[in-house]
Amino acid sequence: MSRILLVEDNEDDIELTLIAFRRQQLANDLIIARDGQQALEILHGTPSRPAQPLPVVVLLDLKLPRRDGFEVLDAIRAHPHTRLLPVVVLTSSAQERDRLKTYKLGANSYIVKPVDFEQFLEAARQIGMYWLMLNTAPPDPEGNGHAAAAP
Amino acid sequence: MSLPVSIIIIFSTVLLLALSGFTLRLRHKYMRRERELETARAALERAHEILRGRVEELEGGGAVASVRATVRQASPATDIEKLRQRVEELATRLSQANEELETFSYSVSHDLRAPLRSIDGFSRELLIGYAETLDDKGKHYLTRVREATRRMSELIDDMLNLSRLSRKAMRRTSVDLTAIIEAVAAEAEERAEGRRIEWTIEPELRAYADPQLIKIVFENLIGNAVKFTASPSGARIEIGREGDALFVRDNGVGFDPLFAQKLFAPFQRLHGNEFEGTGIGLAIVQRLIHRHDGRVWAESAPGRGATFRFTLGGAEQESP
Repeated sequence: MSRILLVEDNEDDIELTLIAFRRQQLANDLIIARDGQQALEILHGTPSRPAQPLPVVVLLDLKLPRRDGFEVLDAIRAHPHTRLLPVVVLTSSAQERDRLKTYKLGANSYIVKPVDFEQFLEAARQIGMYWLMLNTAPPDPEGNGHAAAAP
Repeated sequence: MSLPVSIIIIFSTVLLLALSGFTLRLRHKYMRRERELETARAALERAHEILRGRVEELEGGGAVASVRATVRQASPATDIEKLRQRVEELATRLSQANEELETFSYSVSHDLRAPLRSIDGFSRELLIGYAETLDDKGKHYLTRVREATRRMSELIDDMLNLSRLSRKAMRRTSVDLTAIIEAVAAEAEERAEGRRIEWTIEPELRAYADPQLIKIVFENLIGNAVKFTASPSGARIEIGREGDALFVRDNGVGFDPLFAQKLFAPFQRLHGNEFEGTGIGLAIVQRLIHRHDGRVWAESAPGRGATFRFTLGGAEQESP
């Protein structure tokens, strides 16, 4: 299964991302978590609900309620099940310290959300294309044969 | 020798001795006061140095001016310890102000951009997804909304840029200005896409400056010169040194000298929409020149081109 987990709390941004992915016929591949806690529950599971198959990539906003993007990234890298999972930081912040911090925490990519919607559409197209079509997912770090692979 | 004469001599000798003793005491007292003054002055100087160091690190503005004023007003008689405390306290406040500014910039870059993206995104969806239901006037209004959004986004970027450059650490060294100017001119000409520009760049210009920041100064001044000479008659841009000041001169549209001071205020524009830009360039130039302890000014008359001149402080440290 090829899916993208979008961790985003801003409803406008969610809707705009959906519009952009719909253009690429990728909207069905999008799972949405509206805060950091929810994202980690989807990835790592909860006592009552086992973890779902991993997405091929996580698109992670940094400013999130409950647990922010940095905490989520840290938790993803700390967990054996997700420590190799590709994480793309997708944020409004162009701050150098955010870039440094997220790359240090092990982000695979850092994309500043463009204000211009044309550019945003183009960014979404390229992200979808790259992570769903071009990139080959890492093998399961636990050696169980990872579910996510390029189609 | 008559008695009165000897009396007078004795009297005057005593008087002389007394007087010289008095002067000696005075002199001693004066010297002690002078030593005290000297100590106080040295302490003040140290305090001033420490403060200068802090100020260098921190953002300019009201707080810095207040510290500077305190140091300037302090007389040598001021209790040094009190002054030191005051400097400490102000430095702490400056540091806090700087942190607040950081947070503010951060919030501006993150929080103000997000709604802009929504405005632009949904306007575009209306324009494209509802093209058939919208009449031309409706489309026109939405286009205006998007144009304003783009502009606001630019303003935010410029504001952040100005704030970042004001805080950036300075590293002054002996700089080959001519090389920097030639590189900037080449880039500017490339962007001007085939326009004919006649350059006169003085060879072997050097300065004691931060190479990155001084490059930004020339990028803005030369960029402006290129922008405001976009006339068919052909642009002439000259860069060199006259006396203590470096200058960038063009034969462009110029400006009304009445507004020469206004030029350097952020987002202040003297020309209409025929020239693009937000009006941040000269504000950046002024901040960077001030950070080099220099000053910048401009001369012009409408239609007669413009000359921007600036000095850089600390030239005595320039290595030969």
